[in-house]
Amino acid sequence: MSESERGTKISRVIDDDSVFLGEQRNLWQDAARRFSRNWLAVAGFLVIVVFLVLALIGPHVAPYDFLEQNIVKAFQGPSNDHFLGTDDLGRDVFSRMLHGARTAALVAFFTTIISLVIGVVVGGWSGIRGGRTDQFLMWISDLIQAMPGLLLVILINTTLRRPIVNWFDALYEQTRNPFYLNTLWLDYVLVFSALALIGWPGLARLIRGQVLSINEEDYVLAARALGASERHIMLRHVIPNALGPLVVAVTAGMGGAVLLEASLSFLGIGIQPPNASWGSMLEEGRRYWQIFPHLMLIPAVTIGIVQVAFVFLGDGLNDALDPRRIS
Amino acid sequence: MASFLLIRLLRWSVGLLLILFVTYAMMYYGAGDPIRMMFIQEEDFDTADEAVMRALRAKYGLDQPFIAQFGNYLHKLAQGDWGRSIRLQVDRPVLEIVQFRLPISMQLGFAATAISAVVGIALGVLAALYHNRWLDRLIVTTVLFVTSIPIFVTVPMLLLLLVLILKLIPVPYGWHGLFHRDAILPVAVIAIGPLPGIVRQTRSAMLEVKSQQYITTARAKGLPEARIILRHMLRPVLTPVVTTVGLIMIALINGSLFVELILNIPGFGLLTIEGIRKVDYPIIMAVAVVGTLIIFVSNFVVDIIYPILDPRVRVQ
Repeated sequence: MSESERGTKISRVIDDDSVFLGEQRNLWQDAARRFSRNWLAVAGFLVIVVFLVLALIGPHVAPYDFLEQNIVKAFQGPSNDHFLGTDDLGRDVFSRMLHGARTAALVAFFTTIISLVIGVVVGGWSGIRGGRTDQFLMWISDLIQAMPGLLLVILINTTLRRPIVNWFDALYEQTRNPFYLNTLWLDYVLVFSALALIGWPGLARLIRGQVLSINEEDYVLAARALGASERHIMLRHVIPNALGPLVVAVTAGMGGAVLLEASLSFLGIGIQPPNASWGSMLEEGRRYWQIFPHLMLIPAVTIGIVQVAFVFLGDGLNDALDPRRIS
Repeated sequence: MASFLLIRLLRWSVGLLLILFVTYAMMYYGAGDPIRMMFIQEEDFDTADEAVMRALRAKYGLDQPFIAQFGNYLHKLAQGDWGRSIRLQVDRPVLEIVQFRLPISMQLGFAATAISAVVGIALGVLAALYHNRWLDRLIVTTVLFVTSIPIFVTVPMLLLLLVLILKLIPVPYGWHGLFHRDAILPVAVIAIGPLPGIVRQTRSAMLEVKSQQYITTARAKGLPEARIILRHMLRPVLTPVVTTVGLIMIALINGSLFVELILNIPGFGLLTIEGIRKVDYPIIMAVAVVGTLIIFVSNFVVDIIYPILDPRVRVQ
């Protein structure tokens, strides 16, 4: 950078705090800098990236079909043929883990999308409308949040699965459309919906709070006084300022979804066999843990690592994006 | 104050009714006929006599329409009759089962809460005293790390370590009272759940109190540091920790669910899972009633206790 360029840059930002740092950075660049200094958060981020990549490509690079059984080769320890050994039915554990990664990532992704949409609509509406609408919507979300989420999800998954399968059977009888014959993916839909049901209240509360508090800010008042439209205020002030906390909440929500999916399948409720899930692999491995500990150890360690990674990533994002920390 | 509590009470009661209604509706329309399920799963279905099934349904009042069944249930519940278990422990009054199961989980829960509170408050105070130094970071990071591992991962890993590798203990199994060796592992693991909330709350409250003027005054008067911490800092710090009771309860319920399942402890958590697996209506309803009551009562108690502990809250 030549001397003259430098001069214009400094004079351009002379009334900004960042002049003391010699260059201008926006909130996101600033956050990225602070995030990269937190090595635990960066490690968490890398683990999540690896997890998502494996979920995406894993099933295509898996050495074996994750359903392929071979009773003769049951209960093998790690070897050249079977990188992580085989389970009680002789299925390749590594291939099943890769499929489990896809299950977990699918659940995290769709649950987050669904609860985000509901949360933004309800929270935004609540914050903008206020009054009775606000009170009613927040009462509902309070009620859901006060419940032990896991119990609610268990109840939904155990009670709603059967009628939906029956309904699909009936639809098939009527229409003979083979679409209704495959009910395997229904497990997924049920898990997504149940998890989204307990996930949206937190997001709705967050967005409502952001809408309310940002609307009170002086700069929004100033913008209004200058004649800015509501749309402009929304796009220019409310949404960018609410984005930081939202990113943190969404990360935590994804981690929570992965955890709940594993919990459900550990209880034998969520994703049903033959679909692979880390939770159900842990539960199956638990039966033989004193003789073949690797069957329990592999899914347990994986679930543990991914959860820790999500928590440290979320924590790092929280620290990096919290505007109050900018001093 | 009284009207505030009354409104709260009213809200929670409506909430409880709503939850019971939704639970019953989901079982009635979703889970299906428990008598039929019983014959499919446990008996030879072909020999199931339609007349026998009808008689059984009539016995448990399952032959009536939904609204009648639900009204009946509420009516009996109000009189203290929780119904009889259909499949889990056939024909035993649900109240009796709950009276046997709940105390086990409550003992585990109270012991875990006590440990969690002592450890959590001590760690929170320490972290705040060493604010932004390595001990603070170590405590915050370690608590975050330990608590982010799900409980159904922690227990199997500890079993592997303690039983298989170190050979320290035999496999803990079942319930032999709180002071039996087998209760150590479940209590310790359940205690991890509420830890982060307590540590975080204590730490931030402590940081706030640390810079108060009366602390400076106490120091200027030459009071020993230990006395300042115990007498002047701890009380205002403990108050906000009370607000985490609701979260603690949820952590305990989640914890006991898995711990009791894995270690086969016949507590309330295991009852929940068994009841749901066997579609035992009266058991599931009892679980919903008790679970909701625990959450609501603990939130309600916080509403009452908090203004007593912290006079500043009373102003509103």
